[in-house]
Amino acid sequence: MSYILDLLLTQIFGQPFLLLAIVVFIGYIAMKQKVSKAIIGAFKASIGILVMGMGSSALIANFGKLLTVLQNTTGIQGAGLNTYPTMTASYAKMDAVLGEGTGNSWGIYVLLIGFLMNLALVALRKYTKIRAVYLTGNAMIVQVGISTYLVWRFLGTGMIPTILIASFITALYWGIGATLLIKPTKVITGGADLTVAHQQMYVAFAAYKIAPLLGNPEKDDIEKKKLPTSLNFLQDSVLVTLLVMLISTAVIMLVVGKDGVDWLRGADGFNQASYKNPVIFLLWISITLTANIWVLLAGVRMFVGELMMSFKGISEKLLPGAVAGVDCAAIFGFAPKSVVLGLVCGAIGQVIGLLLLLAFKSPIFLVPGFIPLFFDNATVAIFANKFGGWKAAVVLCLCCGIIQILGSMLAVSMMDLTWWQGSADYATIWVGVIGIFKFIGGLFGIPVAG
Amino acid sequence: MLNILCVCHNGMGTSMLMKINVNNICMENGISATVEACAHGEALGFLMTTDIVLTSPDILEMLPPTDAKIVTTLNLMDKAEVTRLLVDCIKENFPNEIG
Repeated sequence: MSYILDLLLTQIFGQPFLLLAIVVFIGYIAMKQKVSKAIIGAFKASIGILVMGMGSSALIANFGKLLTVLQNTTGIQGAGLNTYPTMTASYAKMDAVLGEGTGNSWGIYVLLIGFLMNLALVALRKYTKIRAVYLTGNAMIVQVGISTYLVWRFLGTGMIPTILIASFITALYWGIGATLLIKPTKVITGGADLTVAHQQMYVAFAAYKIAPLLGNPEKDDIEKKKLPTSLNFLQDSVLVTLLVMLISTAVIMLVVGKDGVDWLRGADGFNQASYKNPVIFLLWISITLTANIWVLLAGVRMFVGELMMSFKGISEKLLPGAVAGVDCAAIFGFAPKSVVLGLVCGAIGQVIGLLLLLAFKSPIFLVPGFIPLFFDNATVAIFANKFGGWKAAVVLCLCCGIIQILGSMLAVSMMDLTWWQGSADYATIWVGVIGIFKFIGGLFGIPVAG
Repeated sequence: MLNILCVCHNGMGTSMLMKINVNNICMENGISATVEACAHGEALGFLMTTDIVLTSPDILEMLPPTDAKIVTTLNLMDKAEVTRLLVDCIKENFPNEIG
């Protein structure tokens, strides 16, 4: 009996690669697809989650070496800003205490129950006013990972209460945020029946409200102006990720000096004695980190499509009247010039933020990432430009970039992770949520876990 | 069997939703196709085996040159419009692939 219980609970429903396959399989069957299709989809999801794990453990280990040498030489704690590694780093923290695979399995339950709670909130829209269902699966998996770790870390709760509390706060975040953006998204897309469901919803809503005070959307609409296309290369996610890694690694190598670089080359570091030339070593590190990120993304891509298909099917079947909350990039085509403007101003803002960290001798330093930098500032710029013109977009994206850095610094200091989500909502309202949970945990004298 | 490629900025969110929609469109219209999703920065490798690219006009500017047929629309989430454009493109260029 106990053997069967262990088989079910630990070896099947506690193993992310099997749990996710089961979820995908049920999704296909619920949508009346062929069994053969369901099996293929389930296996692909399994492979995907393991590929993600390979990319993420290599990335966390390799990036960790840079952070270690930085901390040993200067005492500064470092963290990278990127969405997916933040999820896997959160799970790694939980696994270290609870056992391999626990974090991710709890996260998958939070994903399912959180999604169902979002549907319930929309079904009760008469009372909740929530009308949007969050369908952006690639953002959802990251957000549930952070919520799960956050609740477990500060409340020290067991499996079921952690899953329920994390599901509830995430479902509220999804439903309220995506509902706030229904009206402005309709204006931007010229009447399309969708809303933005991503990770800068509350900041984009603030931009929509503040922008009219900062400029004239009729006179200063950047979409009606001519813009050079030479900045387009900045939209290449592969290239920008490498560029940021190259600059950050170069800065770290300069800061830690010759001894630090020698340590990185040595057995405790990357164990790459053959890269004697520092420039070639720098190139090797940056390209390796970028490659690690891409393996991770390839894995996510393999399973997230399967999950999204189920969620979309279930939502359309159960709640035909709900507004679909989709990836922010779905509206980028409507305002391509705002996208570039947002990216450039957000990048300047982030650099100012990093300089502020240095100027105020912050004990934490951050390495920016393409996803929070590009997708958040592009989205904020679209809303700001539409309702306040390009001047409003410039001001708001500069602020957004600075806030992303400073807010993330606060989050990292409370969450004790080597990676942080870094996007606008996770540098503002989520910092507040973390603070509240930390306060509640402290109030009841709960020791911080992990 | 057609190869259709959905392209967005990071190959994770929008193109994934497009892929789901296109799979359904193909099923509903008797089109036999394999659908992939990717970012424009990594599209080159996919394009060699792609018959039809589905993307938005601004991303098209950043794609490498290709012999594949191109379908673009501003609202990539508008299933009715994507259906119309895609079916027209297939009828015109690959009449044998549609049932």
